[in-house]
Amino acid sequence: MFRTQSSERPFCFVLPALGLMAAVALYPLASTFWLSLRHELPIFGISRFVGLAHYAELWHDQRFWNSLANTLYFTVVSVSLEVILGLGAALLLQQVFPARGLVRALVLVPWFIPTVVAARMWEWIYNPQLGVLNFLLVQSGLSAEGVNWLGHPTLALHAAILADVWKSAPFAALLILAGLQTIPPDLYRAARVDGAGPMQTFWHITLPLLVPVLGLTLLFRTLDALRVFDTVYVLTGGGPANTTETLSIYAYRLSFQTLQFGYGAAVAVVIFAVVLGVSLLALAALRRLGGIPQ
Amino acid sequence: MPSERDTPRNPQMTQVGTALLFALAVIIMLGFCLLPVAWQLLTALKPTAELVSLPPLFPSAPTLDHFRTVFAERPFARILLNSAVVSTCTTALGLAVGTPAAFALAKLHFPGQQVILLGTLAVSMFPQIAIVGALFLLIRLLHLRDTYWALILSDTTFALPLVIWVLTSFFRDVPNDLLRAARVDGCTAFQALTHVFLPVVAPGLVTAAVLTFVFSWNEFLFALTFTATASARTVPVEIALFPGLHEVPWGELAAATMVVTLPLLVPVGLLQRRIVAGLTAGAVKG
Amino acid sequence: MPLWFYLSRENAAEKVNFRPVVQRLARECYAFTLLLLRLGIVALVCCLGCAREQQGEGPLSLVFKHPKLLSREEPLRVLLDQFQRAHPHVQLQEEILPASSDQQHLFYVTNLEAGATDFDVFALDVIWVPEFRRAGWLHDLTAYLGPEGLKDFFPHAVEAATHAGRIYAVPWFLDAGVLYYRRDLLDQYGLALPRTLAELTGAAQRILAGEANPRLAGFVWQGKQYEGLVCVALEFIRAYGGEVLDEQGEPLLTQPAAVAGIGALRALIAQDHVSPPWVTTADEETARHVFAGGEAVFMRNWPYAWALLNAEGSPVRGRVGVTALPGSEAHPGVPTLGGWHLGINRFSRHPDLAWELVSFLTSVESQRSLALAGGLKPTRIAVYKDSRAQQEDPALALFFPLLWSARPRPVTPFYLMLSQVLQGELSAAVAGIKPAAGALSEAEQQIRRILALNPAEERHVQDTIE
Repeated sequence: MFRTQSSERPFCFVLPALGLMAAVALYPLASTFWLSLRHELPIFGISRFVGLAHYAELWHDQRFWNSLANTLYFTVVSVSLEVILGLGAALLLQQVFPARGLVRALVLVPWFIPTVVAARMWEWIYNPQLGVLNFLLVQSGLSAEGVNWLGHPTLALHAAILADVWKSAPFAALLILAGLQTIPPDLYRAARVDGAGPMQTFWHITLPLLVPVLGLTLLFRTLDALRVFDTVYVLTGGGPANTTETLSIYAYRLSFQTLQFGYGAAVAVVIFAVVLGVSLLALAALRRLGGIPQ
Repeated sequence: MPSERDTPRNPQMTQVGTALLFALAVIIMLGFCLLPVAWQLLTALKPTAELVSLPPLFPSAPTLDHFRTVFAERPFARILLNSAVVSTCTTALGLAVGTPAAFALAKLHFPGQQVILLGTLAVSMFPQIAIVGALFLLIRLLHLRDTYWALILSDTTFALPLVIWVLTSFFRDVPNDLLRAARVDGCTAFQALTHVFLPVVAPGLVTAAVLTFVFSWNEFLFALTFTATASARTVPVEIALFPGLHEVPWGELAAATMVVTLPLLVPVGLLQRRIVAGLTAGAVKG
Repeated sequence: MPLWFYLSRENAAEKVNFRPVVQRLARECYAFTLLLLRLGIVALVCCLGCAREQQGEGPLSLVFKHPKLLSREEPLRVLLDQFQRAHPHVQLQEEILPASSDQQHLFYVTNLEAGATDFDVFALDVIWVPEFRRAGWLHDLTAYLGPEGLKDFFPHAVEAATHAGRIYAVPWFLDAGVLYYRRDLLDQYGLALPRTLAELTGAAQRILAGEANPRLAGFVWQGKQYEGLVCVALEFIRAYGGEVLDEQGEPLLTQPAAVAGIGALRALIAQDHVSPPWVTTADEETARHVFAGGEAVFMRNWPYAWALLNAEGSPVRGRVGVTALPGSEAHPGVPTLGGWHLGINRFSRHPDLAWELVSFLTSVESQRSLALAGGLKPTRIAVYKDSRAQQEDPALALFFPLLWSARPRPVTPFYLMLSQVLQGELSAAVAGIKPAAGALSEAEQQIRRILALNPAEERHVQDTIE
């Protein structure tokens, strides 16, 4: 860091960015907070200030807790899978082999496809009679009639998790790969000289040095998974029986399907609070692990 | 430059068995990533009549009809252009606005830096659906409905946290000697930024550019709400327009998916070395 | 996804000599970055030009917003061109929305809540009309219609758009649940058309036993958690003589008729094994694809499927029939009414002109041409009685009695809230998570809470608005 000279005006550097974000994002964010404090039901012409009444209502709302549970389950499972698969892929992609560059580019393909398009694609794959997944299961004899992927109460959320993992694991792989690249090769050489096998090298050298990268990948995938909407909505619409309804879907239903704007805004604020809370916790943990500098 | 380093050769790695196992692992990984896309490609090539039955896994007579329909019956070429323009402008604007901010946050000293950094992140913590209503009001107020600018402004705003954080870390890792030397040579901070720092953090710029471009290319909710006609509509919304009132033309959807993904694959294929190098270079301190 | 991991490297990585690296990078990447910025500037300039494109402010512009209706655009385009020629001083613009009812609803709510004036005429799903009317977003059309009102239209479709004697939208085209069946299979086993659910179950079981094809399903319908499930469930409830709300607006879901209806729905999957378990994820297209591939005996769907099933190349072409939905021993089947209405935006600047477009699009000629070209079932009775139309499209005569008996879902501004509750609980009943009685009683509890939201004193405030 440098002390700024009197001729420099550091705020001028930051001003365009701050200005743009304030101009575009500040009003919507503030209005969401404000809306959450009001009882807004345009179809009945109700528009009045109610303070924190919506949050009190949320406390007793069974459907809210259900969607929170679904969201947390979805986040924990999908992010863990993404990081584990990403780690495996990164380890593979780090080795030297022919056409490595091409393979790396191909592995990123799922990340490029727009979320709604990818969700449609998976909807088609999961189709009970015409989807390729059931076709392969039946042909190979693993299942008699195919699996009711999106219509079974417990399977549906896992089907959505698989679609999300497919889309995001390649990006996690890319991040972890970059982290792997920064581990000095001397350490590996030293380990080899000491007679360590590949597993020991991994456990005692690679993994500890990767912890900050893994932590950050976990953090950012978690932030996105907590706000998941498109993937799950296109696949199941929140069903069957609300078993795949996430917080964002619940907020969407409230605001745009039932026009309960105030209550929906309250759920959105809760999502924000959860995401903020998780990121602050993660930042603190990462700082402790020797990650973020102060 | 700190590029991909060789992994140390463990004597066991050179054995053929391990090599085969490795090849198998790579194939499984590629399969996981590409098989669904391959299935989409097959669907795109199947004649419509065969889409409703599955025992024919492969199309008996592969046809380009779906691709033809995608371009003939819809202004898809125009939509691709719209997406390209919006994404490029978003990227350019994001970099233009975010780079000085990141430079100041990383290298110059002024009060409130941590607050600003955390504040920018808070912008991206809200679920999009909560913001779209109020943002739409703003867009209408500025008479920007159904124009490129509506999308550029909103995409840039929500991509800025990403750009700023990436570039801040890159700038942080550049040694302070450079700024010191520039100052000694009589540069102002801004000249130091443009003439000295930019070339150095170029990999970071590339990375931030790619991330922003892909984010803007795939953005759906704002594009759906703020655009009305083909003059400004982007690709994800156009694909959402494929299904009719009840019918879902799976063939056309699959063809459109292919058309949408390929344009991104080419530049990334070319740039992937830079991207990985970019991710790496920023991590090494001098 | 920000790459925070850089921040973590400060303490971990070893130091590397940066300077030669910097010089190489400067040459290689500086040019690239400048190029990127230059491209960006060029693009910015381009889009500055593009941003000044027409904003829809012509001499007198009329904007018509509707979902993508047909796979081909010409039938509607022809009509709109006709209107444009008849009104040369007006610039008519057509703006298309995704066909997904949800996405359209999102769009309209976002816009109308903001008092948008950018569109004049728009197509509404029949279930939105009471809600939009109550929110004050629809123009009252009673004055334009005159004393004739909508006499020539299907009465139930008009009922869905009427409140306190005033009409707020004009029915454009209709949908109703119908039963498709495999005529060849029924003939092969010598079975008559089922009139009751029990008959249908029996017929399906006989055919399934006889065919011994594991992929053949008896009866496919829409069981996914969405609006379609409410349509199907309502048909079953009404088949047993039940109803969702009575005339006073009190819920009747815990009545034996409703419980019997939903119980029968679940029994199709669980006990009779006539419907495969995956109907809990089926929407219209999933069911249609299966039936069109010849892998179902009966299907409940909307009229749109008829043309597709009989199209060139369809595996079941010429082998399917369509009839009324089955009822129970004591009651006939009651299809659920669907379809789209045309409404005028309350904030439109040219309501009179908008009315001309609405009346043009819902005229006998327009409806006839849309029906013949696109298979959209008209809402005017005259079109069905028109002999020329009947000749050109025999499906019109075929569907008329089926559409006539269709009844709307509860016509109340709360309907979408009710539907949200019903979708979840019905899905639980259909998937077997809760017993039918339990799911319905929980639904009724939540519906009572919703109905209590309607504040009596505020009702008057709303009614005084026009």
